Amino acid sequence: MTKKTTDFLKQKAKWLRKTVLEMTVAAGAGHIAPSFSCTEILVVLYYGGILKVEPKNPTWENRDRFILSKGQSAVALYAVLADLGFFPKIELLGFTQKDSRLGGHTENTIPGVECFTGSLGHGLSIGAGLALGAKINKKKYVTTVLLGDGECYEGSVWESAMFASHHQLKNLVAIVDRNGLSAIDFTENYLKEEPLKDKWCAFGWDVKTVNGHSFDELLSVMKQIRMRKSNKPLCIIAKTVKGKGVSFIENNPIWHYRIPVGDELEKARRELDE
Amino acid sequence: MNKKNDKRWTIGMRDAFADTIYEIAKKDKNVVLITADTGAICHDDFRKNLPAQYINVGIAEQNMIGIAAGLALSGKIVYTYAIITFATMRCYEQIRVDLCCMNLPVTVVGVGAGFDYNTLGPTHHGTEDIALMKALPNMTIFSPSDSIVANAVAKISYKIPGPKYIRLDRTGHPLIYSNENEDFSAGLKVLKEGEDIFIIATGRMVYRALEVAEKLSKLSIDTGVIDLYRIKPINTELLLDTIKQTKHIATLEEHFLTGGLGSTIAEILMEKNKSYKFVRFGISDEFCHQYGTRDNLHKLYNLDTDSLTRILSEWISK
Repeated sequence: MTKKTTDFLKQKAKWLRKTVLEMTVAAGAGHIAPSFSCTEILVVLYYGGILKVEPKNPTWENRDRFILSKGQSAVALYAVLADLGFFPKIELLGFTQKDSRLGGHTENTIPGVECFTGSLGHGLSIGAGLALGAKINKKKYVTTVLLGDGECYEGSVWESAMFASHHQLKNLVAIVDRNGLSAIDFTENYLKEEPLKDKWCAFGWDVKTVNGHSFDELLSVMKQIRMRKSNKPLCIIAKTVKGKGVSFIENNPIWHYRIPVGDELEKARRELDE
Repeated sequence: MNKKNDKRWTIGMRDAFADTIYEIAKKDKNVVLITADTGAICHDDFRKNLPAQYINVGIAEQNMIGIAAGLALSGKIVYTYAIITFATMRCYEQIRVDLCCMNLPVTVVGVGAGFDYNTLGPTHHGTEDIALMKALPNMTIFSPSDSIVANAVAKISYKIPGPKYIRLDRTGHPLIYSNENEDFSAGLKVLKEGEDIFIIATGRMVYRALEVAEKLSKLSIDTGVIDLYRIKPINTELLLDTIKQTKHIATLEEHFLTGGLGSTIAEILMEKNKSYKFVRFGISDEFCHQYGTRDNLHKLYNLDTDSLTRILSEWISK
């Protein structure tokens, strides 16, 4: 990857975190920490040349499908979609406010959003349905589903994981944002999720583990999604830090919900500017 | 066509519905049937002859609805199939979010209305599905009363947009209708006019209502019967117009009284400020741990013909 590409992606990630912070602060709503953990993932998908989408033609039939199954990161996806021109950027200012169509979880009435999410454990099944639909319709699009690791406690995730491998949905990619935290605690404290890679392997998926904040690692695995020889669906376990980018938000359960105020806000802004 | 040679006229509503969907799917490759490991015989032709349009997701109803949503987003017209309790409750939130929030053309087909699975206990009694499904915005609900309505509803479900729920009986049924080409677009049928009382019934209970009406007539109580085979949206205008000359209304359903057909009718009558003497018949607020024939179970809840006739005649005579 060229330095120019890396710099561009870094710049986008920096912009995205700052935008998410300002949107949530203005709204007094939204989830910062789970959006920061998947920032690089979204940036690589949308700015790294991975997803084939057309902002001026959001329902283009051959577009790649992306499902934000961890719908709590809607604020980040909305910022990306507006920046790409799916809808006017000015709408971001109204996030979750009166008369805005942008709520705290994604709705498929928003241009660029494929699927209604916000309830966990739904996205992978719908993604598998879309991937099967592509296979039946002989379409070449790829369906990518971004899941939270806390979401992987839902039994429905594993129902669909089994289904996808049985139907050899090689056109389906699941990315797990493995930040190690769910809403109120660390996953390994209350219900061990590890060995997570072995679980996906046992369900018949190819599994790659990457540093979810490394553009190099994310790009190198995602660039392969269209040319894999395997017939298995692909799971990318992206090891991330929840709240990545602001020291006091990082890896601290309470920041799943909280929005910085006063000095916290100034400190967060300074750190994101560095 | 000689109806005696057409099995649709002698089979139950489940098989009639399955046959019609099979015929539709043969002509439209976009129709997909997903089952959660149910429907061994009624879908045999579909499974054998249309394998590309048939998916068994296994006993995994949540995934079934998600897959259906994904296929619908890919342009497919999807039917999901399971026993009512699992078809509706195990995956209720998937139906709510994946189908109703996104308003997708998926028809949830449930089999085993009320005590249809009379030997299998409360886990298999379809007694809350109307209440649950009617609470969901965008959902259309059909509850056929015989195989002719089931056949018509299969055709209607293919044509209308959005999510649908269809509540079927597994077993054979006495036919209520005789004309294959009857128009079922209105949402209800007035099977019999009546001056003294109207019974509004749905599903298998429509036949029971006709039996009761006949007995009440012998007691000089002129009894009307309405087959309310579309429970959401209800054709309120036609319903109110039909019952305007009577003073007594009874509802009859094989479903918990809580949130079912009777509750729905009561809401309509209250909101429209209509003054009727009103009584509901259905399953009281308890799980049924009894076994035996379906008719035996009906007797436990006064849903048999004799009990209904007795209670209604006493009520009207008061």
